[in-house]
Amino acid sequence: MDLVPQLRRAILAQSLPPPSQTLLATLTSRSPPPPMPSLLATAKARLLASDLTNTSGTVVDTSMPAFPPNIDSAAVQNSSLPQNTHVQVLDIENLSLSRWEQVEELEAIERGERTRGRQVIRVTDEENGEADGSSSSAGQTQASRAGAASGGTNAMHRLVLQDGRGKKVFAVELRRVGGIGIGKTHIGEKMLLKAGAVVARGTVLLTPETCTLLGGKIDAWHEAWMEGRLARLRESVGADRPQ
Amino acid sequence: MKVLCVAEKPSISKAVAGHLSGGSFSTHNTRNKFIKNYSFDFDFGQQWGPSSVTMTCVTGHLTNVEFTSEYKNWSHPPPESLFTAPIVTSDKKDIAKNIADQAKYARLLVIWTDCDREGEHIGQEIVDAAKKGNAGIQVKRAKFSNVERAHVLSAARRLIELDEKQVNAVAARIELDLRIGYAFTRFITNNLKHLGGPLADLVLSYGSCQFPTLGFVVDRYFRVKNFVPEPFWGISLMHNKEGKQVRFSWARNRLFDRMTVVLLYERCLAAKKAKVTKVQEKPTRKFKPLPLTTVELQKAATRLLRMSGQQAMTIAEGLYNKGFISYPRTETDRFDKGMNLKALVQKQTTDQRWGPFAQGLVNGGFQQPREGKHDDKAHPPIHPIAHVAPTTLTYDEGRLYEYVTRRFLACCAEDAKGMATDIDVQFGDEHFSTRGVIVLERNYLDVYIYENWTDTTELPRFTVGEQFEPTEAMMTEGKTSPPNYLTEADLIALMDANGIGTDATMAEHIQKIQDREYVATTTRGGTAATEGNDDEPEEAPATRGGRGRGRGGRGRGGGGSGSARGGRGSGLKVFVPTQLGVALILGFDRMSFETSLGKPFLRKEMELQMKAICQGNTTRRAVLDQSIAQYRQVFLQSQEQVGVLKQACREFVFGQGPRT
Repeated sequence: MDLVPQLRRAILAQSLPPPSQTLLATLTSRSPPPPMPSLLATAKARLLASDLTNTSGTVVDTSMPAFPPNIDSAAVQNSSLPQNTHVQVLDIENLSLSRWEQVEELEAIERGERTRGRQVIRVTDEENGEADGSSSSAGQTQASRAGAASGGTNAMHRLVLQDGRGKKVFAVELRRVGGIGIGKTHIGEKMLLKAGAVVARGTVLLTPETCTLLGGKIDAWHEAWMEGRLARLRESVGADRPQ
Repeated sequence: MKVLCVAEKPSISKAVAGHLSGGSFSTHNTRNKFIKNYSFDFDFGQQWGPSSVTMTCVTGHLTNVEFTSEYKNWSHPPPESLFTAPIVTSDKKDIAKNIADQAKYARLLVIWTDCDREGEHIGQEIVDAAKKGNAGIQVKRAKFSNVERAHVLSAARRLIELDEKQVNAVAARIELDLRIGYAFTRFITNNLKHLGGPLADLVLSYGSCQFPTLGFVVDRYFRVKNFVPEPFWGISLMHNKEGKQVRFSWARNRLFDRMTVVLLYERCLAAKKAKVTKVQEKPTRKFKPLPLTTVELQKAATRLLRMSGQQAMTIAEGLYNKGFISYPRTETDRFDKGMNLKALVQKQTTDQRWGPFAQGLVNGGFQQPREGKHDDKAHPPIHPIAHVAPTTLTYDEGRLYEYVTRRFLACCAEDAKGMATDIDVQFGDEHFSTRGVIVLERNYLDVYIYENWTDTTELPRFTVGEQFEPTEAMMTEGKTSPPNYLTEADLIALMDANGIGTDATMAEHIQKIQDREYVATTTRGGTAATEGNDDEPEEAPATRGGRGRGRGGRGRGGGGSGSARGGRGSGLKVFVPTQLGVALILGFDRMSFETSLGKPFLRKEMELQMKAICQGNTTRRAVLDQSIAQYRQVFLQSQEQVGVLKQACREFVFGQGPRT
């Protein structure tokens, strides 16, 4: 049977994180095996929803490339990634908007309002259903804000990225990367950083050419992040003390 | 044949009589000292032909709705019964009788009320009064939007029907305002009275527009109060060339993280040289203003002329009644193609101040005005009808007339034109740009003194691909600052965007929340200067919601009452809520039902329903049923949670309670 290498090739062709032998074996163990497209789709979903730092080897290949050891050294002015590296997103911030502005926006959403220009809009239940809905409405607001001077094409985001060994680094958008945004980028989402990506003073500089967004998320992390976002923003501007 | 004409107010009655009669009419007194009956002959054409005409008028709404006497007591029957209590209509007896008497001799009744929703309803009130005297009288309506002679004559020869849908919409609005206003006013007043202190003897009025208006002021107040400043950083780039200094601005503007900016700045410096990536020279223009609507007039008057919105409307109404400007209540910001604008411009050529400019337009400079997106299908944008010498107007009338006229002339002129040069440079990975503008033709700016456009400093020559070592590249630091308190123009804009009040009533709601001591004004940057308060006790002011447009008559809608107050002082007037205002809004907000009365949503929905009636998409009955049910639900919920409202008052008015 050459099903295992075939599936592995298909997965790698999509730039997905390398699968572990266990994953490949489990997926192909059924007899008769499912058709290749559905095998691939299952593998993709598993890989994108997995935690890259999980060392059990049930999903991702634990020997996949990781950051060089000195990547986070602030002393190095300019270096570049030696090889393609898969990472997952742990945090995202919009550096172009003041934190207080984001606090006000989130508080308005909590009250069931959104603003569009001068207009106050009621967020109805249909628009703002459960956890997922609130994330999408945050995203819409973000998007509507994005049209304003501070956001949009010039918005700059900072992410915290983690490799398979658990190493965390900052990454900023040196140039705008379309898929990155609060409400668009999920926590636990996977990214491929390409060899040659510039690292400056311990921060990875993202450009559309050097990073590929693969999608996915880790639900538990994402929900916790969403829930804690307002508190974190308030804390970071010192507005967390009792009023 | 005999015809009875009835206008909405004395000034229009007299003006129309003057035009139709050619100036020769006889005047008869009536039992109301403000109302005259004018007799003359006029040929209406069509099937009517030469007629003997009596022209008279009303003074705004002819009728008033109220609860029956069993409901006069504030606590019993309980306020919630007002949602369903019987309502009676009463009229202004002497005026109604005059119309009934005159109708007896007439075959045709022509309504000359202002052409808007309220005017349509007043028209129906007149019809009802006339039918008491002559049940079989025929009814027509004159459609006009200013009292210029030719316009009035053509309206008289092209009579149309009264629009029943608009009449119904207003009737629904009047009933809703009555029920909701009385019920909530009594509820709030009764409950808070017991707290004593300053609340013991106050009437705490509620109006479905007043509260959301107050809500905007309170909301902004807290946004200012709670604001947390934050540092931000940027990169500035400056270069000296050919003896000229040019500053470039950073494409990222500013970032709220120092480390990231340091990193980017370091990479700029490492690159040493900046490279010019784009040099583009292209014509640019500054657009002339759009034709003038009521909302824009009020905003401009508060901002540029330092009048209050209400003052501005009172003055504009006066100018309209005298035939100097077109009807000042309009949402339309596009002129009908058929209008002879050049003729209107021609009339301004004799003016000392803008006459030469107008002459220039007449001599070939005329351009068709820009077209906005709004058309209320009733009135054109506000524009001057006749030229008036400044000596015949009061100081404020003169200034408002000047604004309307300059705006109109600006609309008929050409955009200002200039040449813009855009230069983009890349420095390291970062992008910077600068823009230089040279004004070539001022055009409309010559007459529109409220705006300006000036040359920027001249830019040195750059060519694409050119590299240079910037004279100076610096990391900058700044701090965010809180928003400003609301100006009247801001507040009007918010009300407009959220459907609170009509363009005609916004100024009145703003005045009302000041009269009620829910908000005070202060000068931006100065100390609080609370407006004088001369309120007479009055049950439920909200019942006049849609009206009070200075149409004389009932209460004190009257001209000039607004002109004594309002800031003509130095700085810009801004609104801050009083402790009472804060308590009322937070009290309702904290009740945590779906839609607080302090938010615009409920009222906006009601306004949309009115429009739906006008468009024939729903009926008066359906709207009444739905809206009353909705507000009644809110009422019952408020009643359950009245403790929350009281707590808010203890907290803010008396300074007690757990929160600070």
